[in-house]
Amino acid sequence: MSYLIASSLDEVLTSLRDGSGKARVVAGGTDLYLQDLPYGLVDLSCLKGTTVIEQEDDLISLGSAVTHTAAASSPLVLSRARALAEGCEVIGSPQIRNIGTIGGNVVNAAPAADAAVALVGLGAEAVIIDIEGNIRQEAVENLYWEYNRSLIDSTREVMISLQFKPCMDGEGSAFTRFAARRALALPMVNAAARVKLENGLVKEIRLVAAPVNPAPTRLVKTEELVIGKPVNDQTISMVERSAAEEVEVRGSLLRCSARYRLHLVGVLVSRALKTAAERAMGQGKAGE
Amino acid sequence: MTLKTPEKSTRRYGKAEGTDYQSPEVWSKVTGKAVYGIDHAMPGMLHGKILRSPYPHARIKKVDTTAAEALPGVRAVLTGTELESKPFGIAVEDELPLAVDKVRYIGDEVAAVAAVDLQTAERAIKAIKVEYEELPAVYDPAEALQEGAPQLHDNFPGNVAWERELERGSSSAAFAGADVVVEESFTIPAIHPAYLEPISCIAVDDPYTGITLHTALQSPDAVRKIVAGALNYPLSKVHVNGPVMGGGFGGRVYGNLKVYILSAMLAIKSGRPVKIQLTREEEFTAGRPMIAAAIKMKMAVKSDGTILGREADIITDNGAYSGQAPWVSKTLSERNDSVYRIPGIKTRVRLAYTNKIPTGQYRAYGNQVANFATESLIDMAAKKLGLDPLEMRLKNCVREGDITVHGLQVGKCGLSECLQAAAREIGWDHKKAGHGYGLSVAIHANGSLVFDKNFRGASALARLELDGRITLFTGEQDYGQGTHGAFAQIAAKALDVRPAQITVESKETKTAPFSTGALAMRQTTVGGKAIQLAAEDLREKIFKAAAELTGEPVTMKNSVLNTMSGRTLELGEIAYHYHNNTSGLNLTGEGKFVPEESDYDESGYGNISVAYSFAAHAVELELDKTTGAITVNRLVAAHDSGRIVNHLTARGQVYGGVAQGIGMSCFEGCLFDEGRMANATLADYKIPTALDLPEIDPLFIEIEDPVGPYGSKGLGEIVMVPVIGAVANAAADAAGVRITDLPLTAEKIYQAMAGWECEQ
Ligand SMILES: Cc1cc2nc3c(=O)[nH]c(=O)nc-3n(C[C@H](O)[C@H](O)[C@H](O)COP(=O)(O)OP(=O)(O)OC[C@H]3O[C@@H](n4cnc5c(N)ncnc54)[C@H](O)[C@@H]3O)c2cc1C
Repeated sequence: MSYLIASSLDEVLTSLRDGSGKARVVAGGTDLYLQDLPYGLVDLSCLKGTTVIEQEDDLISLGSAVTHTAAASSPLVLSRARALAEGCEVIGSPQIRNIGTIGGNVVNAAPAADAAVALVGLGAEAVIIDIEGNIRQEAVENLYWEYNRSLIDSTREVMISLQFKPCMDGEGSAFTRFAARRALALPMVNAAARVKLENGLVKEIRLVAAPVNPAPTRLVKTEELVIGKPVNDQTISMVERSAAEEVEVRGSLLRCSARYRLHLVGVLVSRALKTAAERAMGQGKAGE
Repeated sequence: MTLKTPEKSTRRYGKAEGTDYQSPEVWSKVTGKAVYGIDHAMPGMLHGKILRSPYPHARIKKVDTTAAEALPGVRAVLTGTELESKPFGIAVEDELPLAVDKVRYIGDEVAAVAAVDLQTAERAIKAIKVEYEELPAVYDPAEALQEGAPQLHDNFPGNVAWERELERGSSSAAFAGADVVVEESFTIPAIHPAYLEPISCIAVDDPYTGITLHTALQSPDAVRKIVAGALNYPLSKVHVNGPVMGGGFGGRVYGNLKVYILSAMLAIKSGRPVKIQLTREEEFTAGRPMIAAAIKMKMAVKSDGTILGREADIITDNGAYSGQAPWVSKTLSERNDSVYRIPGIKTRVRLAYTNKIPTGQYRAYGNQVANFATESLIDMAAKKLGLDPLEMRLKNCVREGDITVHGLQVGKCGLSECLQAAAREIGWDHKKAGHGYGLSVAIHANGSLVFDKNFRGASALARLELDGRITLFTGEQDYGQGTHGAFAQIAAKALDVRPAQITVESKETKTAPFSTGALAMRQTTVGGKAIQLAAEDLREKIFKAAAELTGEPVTMKNSVLNTMSGRTLELGEIAYHYHNNTSGLNLTGEGKFVPEESDYDESGYGNISVAYSFAAHAVELELDKTTGAITVNRLVAAHDSGRIVNHLTARGQVYGGVAQGIGMSCFEGCLFDEGRMANATLADYKIPTALDLPEIDPLFIEIEDPVGPYGSKGLGEIVMVPVIGAVANAAADAAGVRITDLPLTAEKIYQAMAGWECEQ
């Protein structure tokens, strides 16, 4: 077995090329080390750039190896992408958050990965480069093949960064989750919302829930219902009902029944929307 | 007696001496120097691995070990047929070291290997070919007791491992004369103690000394005896040498007998030390969780809240083999009856074999399991009668001088004081609107006679070393509860020396006095009393030797002896004087504590213990009505454990026991899918994290007990008991509906509030 701590993107790509399918990208290793390890590991978490959090023009960009701790405590993320901070700050335990990364969270492709759900809520896109040097950009929700399997092939593709528009005036985001205990527990349901208000009415909206499908799932029907409406108690209860009607979920002996999970989808999506809307209203002042 | 609210400020952040003495033993742990069982290795040591059944119930047709034996590095392979062992067991003899004709649960031991490294042992296990013929299996204990159910053991027809029917007083009269009857069915899943260090054992077979098991046990002497029987070795040729234990909580009273017996057998066969260490998954799938129970209980009550009687029909789930389950079932089915004045009881308990993991015990021996039922019924009755649950408990709780329905003689008893203190501290009289409040009480014996009616006490030795220090020899194990620190304090007090001058030895059964074990909350009261007597005996001997040396009577203060004429002597001088005069002996005090007063008759009626501890817990929680999630904000734990020897470790016991009680109330439980444990990892078997725990406030109602050393009684087990009832009652108070199936998950509470049909 070989383990390379890469010092440049070139080195990552060359090593993957040389590994011809037997070498794989590793970031924090919190998911990968629980599986059968491949022959070669290429660690990209020390690369310049993969741990950067920055805003350029009207895009926030986070390197794929940004840890959950770093994302959750970044002033930029806290003020312009609260959903991501909230998603990252509840993952696993302090030890896991200190080493696990947002890129790994997306590529590991668990259906209700917390950072991934928040990122889809924010409308994030991933920047991916392959071993031939081709660069593509893909919405996070389009990166899922099936349950626990990403469309990104980490033996020949590298996610460089994740990008999304910051929440500006009149915009807010939020993340909610429900689990059997307060730490070290995968969620029964998690949800994220991003909303833009104009004159007190919903102009743009993204509502996301998981685990519903292999990928964090946008609730497009419910989103449509909300467009043009104020986020008041009536809208919130409508969202609670509609969200639970829009999706189908599975039950499991270990987590909860399908019926309860459906109920939670309604509760958590509507809670996320409520908080996001409150933030949108406060954003002009608080979000400097 | 007037009640003072204990002062929290001084109790919480203690001094490092007096009753907050910090035993130096803790330093090896917090500095990472302690060597635990899993850390141990020996020269030439082999690694053992167990082949387990993949089927819940099957006949073994053939076991072929040829390929495994041919693997390079494999030193010994064992199968059931070659062993010709006779059945062994704790309460019932129904186990063999390795299955011979049948396997009875997924995880049942079929073969064992020892190899030069773990990888080879694992490969060898995979190379063993077993032909099975699957048999119909039964998982539900009530179904197992029905006619026509698949039978597990030929000599236990009807799958009944143990049963008992009991009536004391007249329960039929009680129910005939009742103003109100409350009745409910409760279910409690199997709960694993989930100690952090998985069980491991290195067995060494020496032609001269015999077998030595290097494994940490709460009851080394009890395990030794069973292992000697299973190996057909003389008792004096089987020893236990305990490394530091990574958590026991009752789960290591007998630990995992298969591991000890198989590592010994592999050591004998290979001629090399053999280590078997369970994986976490094996701990869960082939460990010994506490029995699951289904309790149908009803209570007859007068309109003023007086309890007249209670009836219970209990089925406990043994799993495939019995372990301690008959004894646990007994405690489960009766101990709660003695916390109240109940004139008549009627109980039926049946322990059923099922094709699931064999069971064992957990801190409090089932008392906490039934607490859920009893204390729920008290609140249900209070609600029906419009009574305050606190008043109802105060009205019925046992008091000093009572003889309970099972014949327990209640000595010093601060139960009502505990209730009042817990209620006052939680704010029972000025409850926060919308929050849920719950109370629960408990009694627990301090060393019970059920283990061995003929052996009821403890003994100890106290030896004066040549440098003036003192060594205590005891069979009582300390695995974090603080027993040895408390023993040093007790002996220090008896001798008038500093506790830091005292070392406690218990690890090797070759030299330690015999002990029933760290169980039944007997250590401080019974074991500590023997320590006190040994120290007092040593003190007399020191005086005698000093008087011989100086020709004058002496007194002792702060480790120094003073004669009438003003001469001072160090303890070391006396030690040498005696040593020289006896050609090498040490002054040694002997302590034998043989309690006469405890006994019981055929029906189990009688005073089974020398003393009883009491507790009342009060819980305050909040409920999120849209999800059913509860947040336990605060738990006040009021305890009468007599005079507290060490407040630092006593508080630690309360924090830990309450944490485990919260786990059992809200999170834990073995989940089964067709006999397979579905949550066999610590990711899925959810014990609470620090974030899931409430603020815990221990209060000690220190009423001196006449029996225990310096007025003290036991604490370690009772701390867990009332948590379950108090949380259940507080949750019911907040939700307006009562969950009768542990754990109290958000889903169950929400379902009940929403009136859904249960989908579990
Ligand atoms: C105890 C524990 C608790 C956890 N709790 C949670 C939780 O509450 N919520 C949650 O969402 N997750 C949780 N996780 C899962 C895990 O920590 C997260 O998914 C984490 O974000 C993964 O990141 P990583 O850097 O460790 O990924 P790694 O393990 O390094 O990689 C994961 C996968 O992604 C690939 N990969 C990583 N980075 C890239 C890249 N830049 N380009 C291409 N491929 C890449 C790897 O090849 C691998 O296949 C938990 C894990 C553990 C062990």
